[in-house]
Amino acid sequence: MSATAASNDVMIRFRGAGVTYPNGVVGLQDVSLDIRQGEFVVIVGSSGAGKSTFLRTINGLTPLSTGTVEVSGQPVPRRQGRDLRQLRARIGMVFQDFRLVRRVSVLNNVLIGRVARVAGWRSVLNLWPRADVELAFSALERVGIVDKAYTRAGELSGGQQQRVGIARALAQEPEVILADEPVASLDPVTCHQVMEDLLRINRELGITTLVNLHFLDLARRYGQRIIGLQQGRLVFDGAGRDVTDADFQRIYGRRPEEDDFLQEAST
Amino acid sequence: MSAHPLPARRWRPGFASWTTLIVGGLLLWSLWAIEASPERLARLPAQLAQVLGFFWPVDWQYGHTRVLPAIVESIQLAWIGTIIGAALSLPLAILGASTLFPWAAKVIKGISATIRAVPEILWALYLVPIVGLGPFAGALALGINSVGMLSKLGAEVVESADLAAMEAVEAAGGSRLAAIRLGLLPQVLPELMAHWLFRFELNLRASAVLGVVGAGGVGGLLLNTLRYRQFEMAAAVLVLTVLVVLAIDMVSGSVRRKLLRG
Amino acid sequence: MNRPAPPPRRLGLWLTILIGLGAMTAWSGISIGFSVSELVCNAAGGSRLLRESWPPDFAFLPRLIGPFLETVQIALIGTVVGAVIAIPVAVLAARPVSPNWLTWILDRNFMNILRTLPDLFWAMLFATAVGFGPLAGALALSVFSVAVISKLFSESVEAIDLNLTEAVRASGGSWLQMIGLGTLPQVWPQYAAYVLYAFELNVRGSMVLGLVGAGGIGMILETQRANFEYERVTMIVLAVLVVVLLIEQFSIAVRRRLT
Ligand SMILES: Nc1ncnc2c1ncn2[C@@H]1O[C@H](COP(=O)(O)OP(=O)(O)O)[C@@H](O)[C@H]1O
Ligand SMILES: [Mg+2]
Repeated sequence: MSATAASNDVMIRFRGAGVTYPNGVVGLQDVSLDIRQGEFVVIVGSSGAGKSTFLRTINGLTPLSTGTVEVSGQPVPRRQGRDLRQLRARIGMVFQDFRLVRRVSVLNNVLIGRVARVAGWRSVLNLWPRADVELAFSALERVGIVDKAYTRAGELSGGQQQRVGIARALAQEPEVILADEPVASLDPVTCHQVMEDLLRINRELGITTLVNLHFLDLARRYGQRIIGLQQGRLVFDGAGRDVTDADFQRIYGRRPEEDDFLQEAST
Repeated sequence: MSAHPLPARRWRPGFASWTTLIVGGLLLWSLWAIEASPERLARLPAQLAQVLGFFWPVDWQYGHTRVLPAIVESIQLAWIGTIIGAALSLPLAILGASTLFPWAAKVIKGISATIRAVPEILWALYLVPIVGLGPFAGALALGINSVGMLSKLGAEVVESADLAAMEAVEAAGGSRLAAIRLGLLPQVLPELMAHWLFRFELNLRASAVLGVVGAGGVGGLLLNTLRYRQFEMAAAVLVLTVLVVLAIDMVSGSVRRKLLRG
Repeated sequence: MNRPAPPPRRLGLWLTILIGLGAMTAWSGISIGFSVSELVCNAAGGSRLLRESWPPDFAFLPRLIGPFLETVQIALIGTVVGAVIAIPVAVLAARPVSPNWLTWILDRNFMNILRTLPDLFWAMLFATAVGFGPLAGALALSVFSVAVISKLFSESVEAIDLNLTEAVRASGGSWLQMIGLGTLPQVWPQYAAYVLYAFELNVRGSMVLGLVGAGGIGMILETQRANFEYERVTMIVLAVLVVVLLIEQFSIAVRRRLT
């Protein structure tokens, strides 16, 4: 089991981690596991299982109520402040709804990934150092949309916008990428392209990558390791190719249905 | 839901009839109170026609020596009032958005509601003794009023903005301030600027009143020409004011539409 | 894939706009005598004024009831008269239902000019015609209300569902029937909201008009100010504040129920 990996290459370590929201809803409960450096992990679970909560505890967007999360040995700070911002700078995040600033250019969106590394006045005046612009461009090159650098983000298609989202995360030169259902708003073909992008980046740059997915076939295909959540609890942790329909039934608490697959139209 | 699907219909005077009755009654009472007798009202058209006749022919004699400078002064004080309003309302609009700062928003909304309740002419009333007769007092009065109005409208714009991009900035390690600058401002600035421009149009109209308490602008000139029955000169003031205001409205309106589209 | 060339930065254009706005501000500021130092230097005078204005003269409050009543009466007359006249003015200026192009263009310009003439002018005009007093104020506010309501209302009329209007026309209705049966019923709630809004503005407006002798609370304000009775002025301002806020709350509550 990977939960007992040698501690020297552990990137993220959960120990008894739990989240109870202010309204009393339990989002995550007693999760303990290790994620090694360079792993590509897919988290599955039905809607409301706690996938987003799980990811967001890693960069402190959702604070833990109990237990600890460590990123390369350093506990995630519970309070807002410089420590937390410095940790977040090392963790890129990709969102289901892209979260781009639609009215500004693709390049400026990607430069947001540099916000923690440049002087405040430079980002305020939109005067980014040449080296950071260079980084933004190479991030765009890596996801193949550098030709859109000066287009307004809002004018791109969904798949292109998600690539900008990935480029923004890449521009952070992150050690970890967290992708929260990155393909849920995309059509099947684009969906695979974006997943391939994430996998390629993981292989080429060795960035530890965690992806929340809803579709079982996508999870099986891309997840080298699959983590199953149900009602905030860890119910599965194993290699992607070993997952059986019985495992999925356990994760979902029911028999998999047609909706749980993305119908492999493109392959 | 009522238990009877088809209740027996009985004629009742509806909401509209009641309103008409009450408003009608209040109207008659008010007319009686201010002594607007039918005889007085019957004489009105003739009197009005006579007074309107005084305005002809238009006397352009002081057109560019007195009227235009007064209009220019109106534009200037409206402009400064708008600049004051825009500059101060920008932070207040953001702090006043309940989606961002729930606690500060309550305080700021309360203050801006109080400011808005006081007509700008009353602000001018207090400012004239402090900074002296003249357009400076008028500009400050318009500025205060604009801060109140623009903070409220601005906060509404910010509240309707999508905060998702702000979270993306914070997730990348940006501070709250950076998230506001990079994730929020590009979304809301065009709309805020459109409000500023519209406030300038309104301030220009309002500046025509401030002259009443000696706070500068074309209002003082208009009031004096009318008071001393120089109707032919007042006609020149009115014609020029209307033309200038309409021209500025047209320019400002087209810039606003451009801002909101882009 | 090649990196695109950056779009022309149009630095010149932005610089021109920025300098233009800066110059406008500087020119205006200097011409009207804007100075922070003057503000600071006059702080002493300001604090004296504030001391003289405080505490408000509560003994004066009972004498405000009459003028306040008059202010509300003036505003009420102005609103009702204006609201009635505004209906045809607004309908004729609404493109889709206006009977013909000429009417539309004439009415539209009429509305614009009406809106542009200062209420001060109307007050003085009517004061000259019928003499200074509340009637002149009520008439001036009537015109002002026509301007406010017709502008907003005609925009609402332009946004109506034309299918209903067409239906009345198709079943052989006249133009008046089309307006009365197909158009106005769709926009009554908005109309009522605008009328309430105009009433709010009129209560404020009647104070301004009072300053030039058109009755109401503004007239008392002017006399007390002229006599430097600043404790009374403060009392009036506070009372105005309370009344305006009350009317605003009432109007908001009613408008919320309408929509
Ligand atoms: N901000 C929040 N406040 C209260 N409850 C929340 C909040 N966010 C999520 N939840 C609840 O926590 C549970 C887990 O949610 P989430 O992590 O978003 O699940 P998933 O991403 O797997 O759909 C759900 O029951 C959800 O309703
Ligand atoms: Mg989720």
